[in-house]
Amino acid sequence: MSEPTSSLPIAVPQQARRRGFRLQRGDRLVVRILLAVVLSMLCAGALIVISGHDPIAAFIALGTGALGSPHQFGAALNRTTPYLLAGGGVAMCFRAGIINIGAEGQIAVGGMGTAAVALAWPSDLSVVATVVALLGGAAVGAVWAGLATAIHLGRRVHEVLATLLLNFVALLLVQQVLAGPLGEFGAGFLQSPLLPRATWLPRIPQFSAHIGFLVAIVAAGALSFTLWRTRFGFALRVAGNSRPAATYAGFSLPLLTWSVMLLAGALAGLAGGIEVLGLHRRLIEGFSLGFGFKAVTVALLGALEPLAIVPAALFVGLLEAGSLSMQRQIGVPSALVVVIEGMTMLFVLAATVRRL
Amino acid sequence: MTDFLAAAIRIATPLMLAALGGILSECAGVFAVGLEGMMLAGAFAAIIGAWLSGSDLIGVLFSMLGGAAIALAVAIVAVRYRADHMVTGLTANILALGLTSYLLRVAGGGRPIAIHLTPLDAWPIPGLADLPVLGPLLFMQPPLTYLALLGCVVLAIFLTRTQAGLTLRATGENPEAVFASGAEPLRVRMLAVLACGAIAGLGGAVLSLQQVGTFTDGMTGGRGYLVLAALIVGRWNPWGAAAACLVFGAAEAFELRLQSFGVPVGSYIVQMAPYLIALAVLAGLGRSSKLPAAIGRPIQTD
Repeated sequence: MSEPTSSLPIAVPQQARRRGFRLQRGDRLVVRILLAVVLSMLCAGALIVISGHDPIAAFIALGTGALGSPHQFGAALNRTTPYLLAGGGVAMCFRAGIINIGAEGQIAVGGMGTAAVALAWPSDLSVVATVVALLGGAAVGAVWAGLATAIHLGRRVHEVLATLLLNFVALLLVQQVLAGPLGEFGAGFLQSPLLPRATWLPRIPQFSAHIGFLVAIVAAGALSFTLWRTRFGFALRVAGNSRPAATYAGFSLPLLTWSVMLLAGALAGLAGGIEVLGLHRRLIEGFSLGFGFKAVTVALLGALEPLAIVPAALFVGLLEAGSLSMQRQIGVPSALVVVIEGMTMLFVLAATVRRL
Repeated sequence: MTDFLAAAIRIATPLMLAALGGILSECAGVFAVGLEGMMLAGAFAAIIGAWLSGSDLIGVLFSMLGGAAIALAVAIVAVRYRADHMVTGLTANILALGLTSYLLRVAGGGRPIAIHLTPLDAWPIPGLADLPVLGPLLFMQPPLTYLALLGCVVLAIFLTRTQAGLTLRATGENPEAVFASGAEPLRVRMLAVLACGAIAGLGGAVLSLQQVGTFTDGMTGGRGYLVLAALIVGRWNPWGAAAACLVFGAAEAFELRLQSFGVPVGSYIVQMAPYLIALAVLAGLGRSSKLPAAIGRPIQTD
């Protein structure tokens, strides 16, 4: 394994190697990731047997539940969308060696921002209203990521702790807002009133998917271009490989951290906004529960490569969309999907992280 | 006031136990982000064990196994395969969340099985329990709370006064030196993580067996992450970490008080307190908190 820093005319202190997240590169990476997926599916099969059901029948029900009809496939694409958007942002952070676990909170406040703008914005012009509401969500998501960045850079708190703890604050903040100013009076549970029809995301005809998935695909393409074809992307990759090398090359680490965190926060906020405008059409308590980890899952499953995150996010989205049919038809609890995600991640981590 | 402090100690007990485990793991050089999952698996295993056997003691033993099972996954992936500690820990938490929810439903034949046990009673210690202030605080607590307090003493002695404890700390500071001295840093780290899981599992048993007598999905609710903050604030010292956990416990006890008095503060805002306190204290410490030198760094074996 070649150390990318060894050819530089500076000594790389031990300190530098402690940070950062590295994946093994090369053609065997894809094989290793696929192997991890297969292994986790085998484990899932064993767990289905434990529950007293037939694993083959369960997987068939899962597959038809996700792909059986255009309607079901559309629903799976809707599931995929937030993971794809937020996962892309997380991947950019990981590329730069910043372990941003804050997507969960950023998605939640992003949804809140979008709902607030959609409720307050008096426009009947559908496109304008939708775009402004989504931008509002992205902005709020970026602010939340910025808060974590300020704590991390300003006070040297590890970014994992700063982003993690802010997730809990964000979820409670959304609940508080739903219990107060944004809440629907007398609804019985925490949700906002239905948002104005003009702000809803259009749906693709004959297909229950909203256009958010297309937005997410475009975003993935843009991220891939940014990562591989721009100076900013190059700086991210250098910083992720070796911080001293990045400093030596004249890149400002704080500036890089700020920009990539704000980018990831905006993408997560956008994911929250799309979820609100496209799927629920109102802000609901806990609408983003678990999304933050899934963003990390798809980022790593996609080997931190924005375009490869598309199939990774589809994998997770299809699994989840199919799991409900599996539960209904066969009786295997849909929580199995969370186990599959965790297992896949463990295998991917064990198989692909670069040996230092 | 005594009531309030006694409640704070009771509420802080799961955090204190998890912190003891976390100290072992982090002093050996492995970030303990998986504490949340280890606690959750412990909470689940405790309830299942106690329900199957009808004995709380078996439940407590099961909780250690449950926590250690999650820790085993962390040890293999993060120590043996040298994956990133933070992400591995996080993954272990999700795995624990998924497995416990799944098995809870498998046990109930599709729906979450409803197990309701009597929460563990207080065990007043004869003689000492009648002391004026200290009695209700320290000697009229449920059994696992005594275990947590005792654990602080044992861990403090272990880390500073025994050969094994010194080797463990050296592994977190300079694993190469430990290797040169003839010990096996890889094995030290694996064992430390496993012990961390077993002890954090006990913390989970406190939540399920001692506090409520049942298990609900994700019942740890982020306590493992608070403990991570407590470790840093307490500088990886058992007493320091326990004190930090007590602050979080007090915050929660205070929150319960406020709610019972019907204070018109938004209840969700009040629930933010432990997380905000954790962030504020971490930010306040700033640069001055010093991690074990080799934490998060994989061990070169070849």
